[in-house]
Amino acid sequence: MLDYYLRLALSRCRQNVPMVLLLVLTMAVGIAACMTAMTIFRALSGAPLPGVSPHLYVATMDAREAVDQDSPDYKRPDSLLKLADAKALVDAHRAVQQVAVAQSLTQIGQPDGSQSAQAYGLMAYGPALQAFGVPLRYGRPWTEAEQASNAPVIVIDTEVAQKLFGTKNAVGRSVMLGRHRFRVIGVSAPWHPRVQMFDVQHDQGTVMGQAMMFFVPAQASLDAGVGPFLAGECGKDAAVASFQSTQVAQCRWMEAWVRLDTPAQLDAYGPFLAGYANAQHDAGRFVYPPQAKLYGTQAWLALNHVVPDDVHLNMMLAGGFLLLCLVNVAGLLAARFLRRQGDVAIRRALGASKRDVFVQHLVETGLLGLIGGVLALPLTWLGLWIVRMQPVSYAAAAQFSAGVFVILFGLSVGVGLLVGILPAWRVCRLPPALQIKLA
Amino acid sequence: MRHIVKPLLRHRMMPLLVVLQVALACAIACNALFLLQQKLVPIVTPDGVGHPGRLIVAWNIAPRGNPWPPATLRQTATELHAIPGVVSASLATSWPMETEAQLNATVVADGKGIKASAAIYIGDHLLDTLGLRLLAGRDFSAGEDALVYKGAGLHTDGPTIITQALARRLFPGGDALGKVVRIGDQANAARRTVVGVVAHLMRNEFGQDDREDVDYSMLFPGTASNWPIPIFGVRVRSTAEAAGVRKAMKAVVQRELGPDMIQGIDPAYESYGDMRERMLAQPKAAVWLLSGVSMIVLLVTVVGIMGLTSYWVQQRTRQIGVRRALGARRGNILRDVQLENLLVVGAGILLGMALAYAINLWLMQRYELTRLPWTYLPYGALLMLLLGQLAVLSPALRAARVPPVVATRSV
Repeated sequence: MLDYYLRLALSRCRQNVPMVLLLVLTMAVGIAACMTAMTIFRALSGAPLPGVSPHLYVATMDAREAVDQDSPDYKRPDSLLKLADAKALVDAHRAVQQVAVAQSLTQIGQPDGSQSAQAYGLMAYGPALQAFGVPLRYGRPWTEAEQASNAPVIVIDTEVAQKLFGTKNAVGRSVMLGRHRFRVIGVSAPWHPRVQMFDVQHDQGTVMGQAMMFFVPAQASLDAGVGPFLAGECGKDAAVASFQSTQVAQCRWMEAWVRLDTPAQLDAYGPFLAGYANAQHDAGRFVYPPQAKLYGTQAWLALNHVVPDDVHLNMMLAGGFLLLCLVNVAGLLAARFLRRQGDVAIRRALGASKRDVFVQHLVETGLLGLIGGVLALPLTWLGLWIVRMQPVSYAAAAQFSAGVFVILFGLSVGVGLLVGILPAWRVCRLPPALQIKLA
Repeated sequence: MRHIVKPLLRHRMMPLLVVLQVALACAIACNALFLLQQKLVPIVTPDGVGHPGRLIVAWNIAPRGNPWPPATLRQTATELHAIPGVVSASLATSWPMETEAQLNATVVADGKGIKASAAIYIGDHLLDTLGLRLLAGRDFSAGEDALVYKGAGLHTDGPTIITQALARRLFPGGDALGKVVRIGDQANAARRTVVGVVAHLMRNEFGQDDREDVDYSMLFPGTASNWPIPIFGVRVRSTAEAAGVRKAMKAVVQRELGPDMIQGIDPAYESYGDMRERMLAQPKAAVWLLSGVSMIVLLVTVVGIMGLTSYWVQQRTRQIGVRRALGARRGNILRDVQLENLLVVGAGILLGMALAYAINLWLMQRYELTRLPWTYLPYGALLMLLLGQLAVLSPALRAARVPPVVATRSV
């Protein structure tokens, strides 16, 4: 039966080609606009670290140790901590996993200076690789003992390993980081958060996550003369330390991330964090009420507007546009179907049930939707290409993927059926006798 | 009128679909055009900088560890000025069309209490280097330019040059020269006396909060201490010399500051024109996108109205024939179809305007958007009505051509 309906639909499409073209093109443009916006939205709105970041929380508190006359109010939650506070939170071991990190940018070279690579990485206190779920290709992460003794050990990613040593398995080799020689104890697979998640308060305009190419215990790195990329907040009296400084004792430059798997753990950690911060305030270190609070990764990114508003606005614009196209096509389809009331009446008189007529018309609109989807495919590709050409920070997110294809297919058939429901229902509603009379 | 309204009420589906389409198109187009207008602000507002091709800027100069002492930076600026072909050289904290470093403050007209958010550019010889047009007052003196602040300079009293837009905002209906602007709203905020007013100077960050805001800027003379990312600008005598000067500039900055720069972050040496192009590329792209979307939305709507109306007319061919046989002229039929379209589209516009406003209110709660101005509504309504009439023209003419003899044909 379906096969017959399909042939019927095809032959009808051939009868009025311009009209059919108008219908499928309208659908295709609507679907393509929506798919383009949705591809970017999906790439940017999901978890920065799938499977991991939904359990990660960042600690925020007003940890200022001097009165700031210019901005006494704590307007925006602040995630930056001094190394001492970060250490205290990590060493308390009150979460499933905890780590304090800061981003760094430096040269990593062979000890003889023959090869070197510019690399972004994380300086960490605590098990950074485990907490962020960084996949290790070779070797192992550093141990607590190594961290406690400030041992010069480092984990690099396969790309740095390949560049420096010509092999991915660089475990056991030595690299120069700053002034010191570090032993490579592990090699990680290339890793980057899908969306920027570290130090987002200071980050302006970066949306896509930066690839982290090395991981190193923070103190060992400072000892070697490699500091964080940004020294963060350094108090009014201290000399203004800026980039790559190791004079960070007076600065708040680390972020503490904790992993909490269950609501019970989350409920328990909040009071612990508040308790720690309040104790510092009571002891006179933090001059303002700390207002300590945990933020989930997604909530933290949303709060700091990491993903530009434009992405959301464009998604809504595209959604509204698709809706308009749907109403438009539904209207044109209704006109098209109702013009053929005569044919329907004859079918009804010959014994076809209302249901048969309904299904027949739905098959036709489904087919049109599918054709629209096929046409939308190159249009979506074109849309994504145009976005990639744009000077926007999220241009790299506009990539065609298998997921996009599946959604597009589903959307087009869904759209085809959806727009057909009203017209198909209208056309099978009239009683056959009246339909024949009308014809 | 009754003979137009009645059939619309009896056969509700077709007119309802048109109403819905017009309403949706209205809501989308109003909001898209509103966003577009906001993106246009920095593109169409003059930035005040004269001869963009003759201004070369060195930025993204990041020190490793502590910032350079002001004396070192001053020395570099002096050497830049000595390059043949350079007319004026400046050392500044921030620069138009560059957002890496920003100084913004709430400034208050002393005594009057009128507040505004303004961008502050601190540096020496900025008026000449930026090529600003001085409307009133004077440039900073050599002594004022030679000042070195203890910090950034926001807490120090002194002279300032402000834009005309900011002057009008802070001192409405009066001369701003000689008046005092407080930098911040605290009781002990610094006092800056206005010594000059320039035509325009764009702030380096374009917010979407207020349209006038983009031209609210102030200049302070002197040099900031402990400023992490200094910016150098030089104005060259002619565009022809720009390439040579740029090369010499790079050599000077590298020689003086290179050893203390962060490895892996290279300074940029660009003409101001290129910086402007780069900075405006994003709003320009958004303008293209939004205008494209608005065009397609309107096109789709016109096509939709056309398709539905021609079916609606075809349906009533016989009634039209009867009316013609009973004496209605072609003009009557044409006008009836047009009037009917006017009614339906009008209903859609009313619904669409309400929808546009609701969407705007909702967006305002979630994003940094301002209220949709009322002035959009009559223009939007007029545009939609015209488009509706355009769309109905061909079906209406076809209806008018229905001969009276149709009425007598088979039933």
